[in-house]
Amino acid sequence: MVIKNITGPLVGLLLCSLGVAAPTPIPAYDFYVCANINRNYVIGSKIVTMNGVYRRDAAGAWQHFGYNDSGITAVAFDPRDHRVWYTSALNGLWRTLDGGKSWRMCNGWEMTEARDVAVDPNAPDHVYLALPDGVAVSTDRAQTLERRENGLPERGKYTQVIKVDRTQAGRVFAGCELGIYLTDDGAAHWRQVLPTKEMVTDIQQSPHDPQVWLAVTQNAGAWRSTDGGVTWINFPNVPTSRALYNVTFDVTQASRYAIGSWAHGVLTTEDGGVTWQDRNAGLPAPHRVWRVGVDPAGWLYASVFGETLYVSKDFGRTWRADALVGSVVNNFLILPRSVN
Amino acid sequence: MKRIFSLIFLLTFTVISASARSALSGPPPSTAPVLNEQQRHADYIRRIDEVINFAAGGAKFKTDDPAKFDLVTIASKLVRGQDYERCSRRVIELMREPGTGPFWMFPTVCAAYVGRDRLTPAAQAAIREAWRTTRQVRGDTENHWMMYYASLYLMSELYPNDPAESWYTGKSSSENLAEARAYLIHWADLSTSMGQGEFNPTEYIGEYAIPLLFLASWAKDPVIKERGRLMLDWLFAELAANTLNGVLRGPNSRTTEGPVAERWNAMASDFSWMLFGNTPPTAGYGGWALYFAPVAKNYNVPEVIYRIATDRSADYLQRDRARTRRRWRYSDELSPLVYKTNYLRTDYAVGSTRGGMIDPIQSHVWDVTWAEADPRKKHNTMFSMHPHSSMVAMQSSFTCYPEPMIKAVTMEGKPTYDSPDKILGSSPYEQVFQDLDTVIALYDIPVGERFPHINGFFSKDLVKVTESPSGWIFAQGGRAYLAYRPLAGYTWTKYSHFAGGWAKVGLDLGGRILTSPHLKNGTIVQVASANEFPSFAAFQAAINALPLQFSLEPVPTVNFTTLRGKKVTCTYGQTPTVDGSPLDYSKWKLFEGPYLNSEVGSRRLTITHGQLERVLDLNALTATDRVRTP
Repeated sequence: MVIKNITGPLVGLLLCSLGVAAPTPIPAYDFYVCANINRNYVIGSKIVTMNGVYRRDAAGAWQHFGYNDSGITAVAFDPRDHRVWYTSALNGLWRTLDGGKSWRMCNGWEMTEARDVAVDPNAPDHVYLALPDGVAVSTDRAQTLERRENGLPERGKYTQVIKVDRTQAGRVFAGCELGIYLTDDGAAHWRQVLPTKEMVTDIQQSPHDPQVWLAVTQNAGAWRSTDGGVTWINFPNVPTSRALYNVTFDVTQASRYAIGSWAHGVLTTEDGGVTWQDRNAGLPAPHRVWRVGVDPAGWLYASVFGETLYVSKDFGRTWRADALVGSVVNNFLILPRSVN
Repeated sequence: MKRIFSLIFLLTFTVISASARSALSGPPPSTAPVLNEQQRHADYIRRIDEVINFAAGGAKFKTDDPAKFDLVTIASKLVRGQDYERCSRRVIELMREPGTGPFWMFPTVCAAYVGRDRLTPAAQAAIREAWRTTRQVRGDTENHWMMYYASLYLMSELYPNDPAESWYTGKSSSENLAEARAYLIHWADLSTSMGQGEFNPTEYIGEYAIPLLFLASWAKDPVIKERGRLMLDWLFAELAANTLNGVLRGPNSRTTEGPVAERWNAMASDFSWMLFGNTPPTAGYGGWALYFAPVAKNYNVPEVIYRIATDRSADYLQRDRARTRRRWRYSDELSPLVYKTNYLRTDYAVGSTRGGMIDPIQSHVWDVTWAEADPRKKHNTMFSMHPHSSMVAMQSSFTCYPEPMIKAVTMEGKPTYDSPDKILGSSPYEQVFQDLDTVIALYDIPVGERFPHINGFFSKDLVKVTESPSGWIFAQGGRAYLAYRPLAGYTWTKYSHFAGGWAKVGLDLGGRILTSPHLKNGTIVQVASANEFPSFAAFQAAINALPLQFSLEPVPTVNFTTLRGKKVTCTYGQTPTVDGSPLDYSKWKLFEGPYLNSEVGSRRLTITHGQLERVLDLNALTATDRVRTP
């Protein structure tokens, strides 16, 4: 199923969630983060703060839900039923079927340190897991997992990020050590669509136009595709000297992107990548920006490593400290509010 | 008659006093082997009881206040039949705030099993409940997984029919058991086929020995129980063969700042003391090693292993294989092979790997370690190394982003990782060759490397340090003569001693670092026993007379005739030759030497000493002893 000509970005998100083509009234949206707040945690030490998935409530406060784990890297929801969600974490993949009351560690000993997780909105039983040694796929809501790496390199398949194209079931991008890999058949076969020498750190699909994708890398700068991820063009004005950690679209304005970087801090563009601005005034120095995210209202967030979450209502021109003191946010997520 | 009684009393009192005295503060134990089996076993039990007494007495807290009881104190009290009620109450308290991960899991398993018929039902239920409610982190290293899966296995066997919702994993007892069992078998198979990943660890030996002892003691499934028993022998056989009077020296997959200099001061010494009695225990009997004691009476170290550990009367060469830590990125292989050479003599030992990256942070690549009558507080070792610190090294082994990790590791028990004067760690720019008691380490450090120099460790305990006009630096350590030849210019700096992995500050205890700020570089070390020469001067003369040619451009190259008459050629990036023949590492066995022998992929280790032989067969799950005919 290919969905085109969607103009409302949040409608796009909704379609992403529900896997249906017909426009639907825009519901309210929830904003989630995966936050590690425990300072100086090492294996064996006691977890003394609440870590994991937080959702911002109507009053703007962050409410923790789910389990307490300082190693959650990403969260993904079943669009049909938001009581079903998945987290990628140090142990691998965790799943809840009851809104976080009970959990199952879905993988065995063969998989570890999951970097990202994604649910296919057009085939919601299908769950994709990014692993340091490749990719695993489930077709039964993570009851079972199997490796699907045909076409990924034997070495160099460290997968930091995995994203499903919301317009087509089984069309998935994997950001690996040696580039971006694409499958059109649910990971049965992969092909390289962008080679890199070091890690691809993030891939995002535009909420405004599903043909537009962004990617950032460790040492090859930032890239955009306007043909659904088949070909990629480098942004010449984005630095390549140091790693870019993540990239985000602004759901309220199609031409606004933001990049988070430890070394470069927050970089933004408001003209679709023609020019980029350093938006670090008001943020702590040195930068140490771990992730950036944009909420449904278009507020820009920056997670400053181990310090706190910062928020900007003017896309980075000014900042103020927000909640989650001491946190490292690994993942931002906008999700249509579910009746479940 | 009265005098005889007095003498008997005096002797008895003396024996009692000696046996009651803590090994922590007493004189070093004799390194002579105890040949009488009953005496040997009695000594073992006495040492184990000493540890149990320490732990039951409150361990580091040294208090009988139950509010301070930790799980090892509880387990030790329980095996001594003491304080069941107070221990039970304390268990319930502790389980209200359970920890996360393998370092909480295995102590809890210890208390759960030791307390099966001693803790109150409420206390046992509290332990069981904690395994439902609290997420356990599996960790990211091999020792984490060993502790995690041994613990999960044993708890699942203890509660065999419980449903998925009663475990933090969301899996039933049988599912947990199957997962843990599969990993434990995989680990044993891999380690006995390709070699240990965390080989010869100075501290992490406990993280293997304790779970293996638990499995050997408590697992019901013979497939796991026997593996536990056999792998315990395997682990201790390696310990025995690599220790000099109980001190683990030579290369380590993982160690910490303290034991690299003070080789004795590591948990491995606590195991040597408990098992072989040939070196003193460390402070607090090694911390985590305390958990071995409450269960240790279920294990008797086989005599052949004991003999290997305590016999340094003859020189021997042992060559083995191992694995590096898993490499996620920046590598063509997941776990490149490690080739270890260890040569042990009465007065000293020399050990090495071939260099290169092993563990990203904590490897120790090579050294000469000399014997000390009392190794405590002695920095009885010499080596050189390149202080490599890099984001690539971090990213290779950790699932991390580049920038934060270096600082993070310095806060997580590896304080010197990013220090230019560190003495711990491996480097991709170091290549090491060893033939008996000769070591040649070559360095080709690229421009732009964070720390563009090499560090040579010169201990405070060296004497007669002499910088010869010939370019050699001579010294004596214990009864060993050492010759150190830097291949490039150097300066001296003070050595700052970090007493352990979590040490916050370096101590000025003496000793120096030879710092050589040249990218093309090298070190030659030749060692001999003092008794091989009529004088120190004669040793120097012999070394100065050895044919040596070297050049540093375009890459370091050494042609050297060793003290043992071998003509060695080493060129950075090329295979070394000995008497014209290139070394062929592909022919190396998993273990090869007078004591330990194993073929690659065999899962079978033959342990020999004199006429004694023990074969550990992980295929048949048997240990077979025999006395060989001379």
